[in-house]
Amino acid sequence: MKQFIYILLIPFFLSAISCAADEECRKERIVKMDVEFLKKTFNPTNSTYTTGTLNVDSLTVQGMDSLGVMIDSILYKNKKNVTQINLPLNKFATESTFVMRFNQTTDTLTIYHTNTDLYLSLECGCLKTHTIDTVLTTNHYIDSVKITNHNVNTTDAKHLQIYN
Amino acid sequence: MQSIYKFTISILFCLTVFTVQAQVAEKKKTEVKLPEVKLLNGFTVQVDVASVASSALNSGDSYSMEGGVQIDLKKKYYPIVELGIAGANKLSVDNIGFKTNGLFGRLGIDINLIKPKKDSKPTTNLFLAGVRLGMTNFGYDLTNVTITDNYWGGTETINYTNQRSTKVWFEIVAGVRVEVFKNIFMGWTVRNKNLIGEDKPGKVFPWYIPGFGQNTGSNWGINYTVGYHF
Repeated sequence: MKQFIYILLIPFFLSAISCAADEECRKERIVKMDVEFLKKTFNPTNSTYTTGTLNVDSLTVQGMDSLGVMIDSILYKNKKNVTQINLPLNKFATESTFVMRFNQTTDTLTIYHTNTDLYLSLECGCLKTHTIDTVLTTNHYIDSVKITNHNVNTTDAKHLQIYN
Repeated sequence: MQSIYKFTISILFCLTVFTVQAQVAEKKKTEVKLPEVKLLNGFTVQVDVASVASSALNSGDSYSMEGGVQIDLKKKYYPIVELGIAGANKLSVDNIGFKTNGLFGRLGIDINLIKPKKDSKPTTNLFLAGVRLGMTNFGYDLTNVTITDNYWGGTETINYTNQRSTKVWFEIVAGVRVEVFKNIFMGWTVRNKNLIGEDKPGKVFPWYIPGFGQNTGSNWGINYTVGYHF
């Protein structure tokens, strides 16, 4: 009987060492479209194309809204030796337009996409993920664009390939 | 968390080893003769005071109240029904609000691991190990979920109100019960709760589940009961 009274006290020791819950978000919350620059070179000896990484000497990227007004903040400003960039897609519109200046040549890249709500948790809140539908581009510097992954979310992936 | 786990497991293990040894030693003796045990030996009505105490200490984030009825079969098997009400009202660091209130129930059975001894007077103290199956169907609100576009501009606030959820979980329970006064029992149980099924990724899900606690796959719980035996 006596030892049982002590046993009744065990939960107090157990509860004393329990710890507080984590209230900080520890999940990846960045959703960006990954773009890589590539160059196709024609090999005349065997008539094939080889693909290699393109190193853009100087790159400036800025968003442009649907009315053609430039977004104040510049994403990349005269960045040197660029082989890949990350671009944020518009969370509340289905169209994101980027004006890209490669050295002295300017191209406009428009992404059409759908946006989906992704609830993470009470600590992390909600995100928008995107599914790339179509990509349009002008062809001054850019030769072509290839969509390699349509789903833009928190997982690290390459989404677009821009060919010179 | 890891240390609590280890600590509890080791306690349970020690006690199990102890009872198994006792069992082996007594096997021959118990076969000789034991007074006949009735099938039904009354029942105990109990309330949980740990949940009330932790609700008070929990800075108002959540509350829980529960009670149960446990039947004594052959002084060995103790089927139990536990019923309760619980809720939470929580604000995240980003001001997302979560609110719920709900009823929950658990069904289960405990087994008394103390073997009756032939020559000593019968004890009313119990060392119990058992399982529970818990269930709740509850409503919740998730409000002020804000999405902001830092580059393109714009903010959207979503309120997910009147969401419903059904959750089922199982518990592994160990504890003791001691008769402190005539027919008045006190005891505690430590339980490891495990949710069955997962939330759909990307969809809203509750932060707190009545009867289970915070919505992590596995939870620990302590009950401290005061009961009356009829």
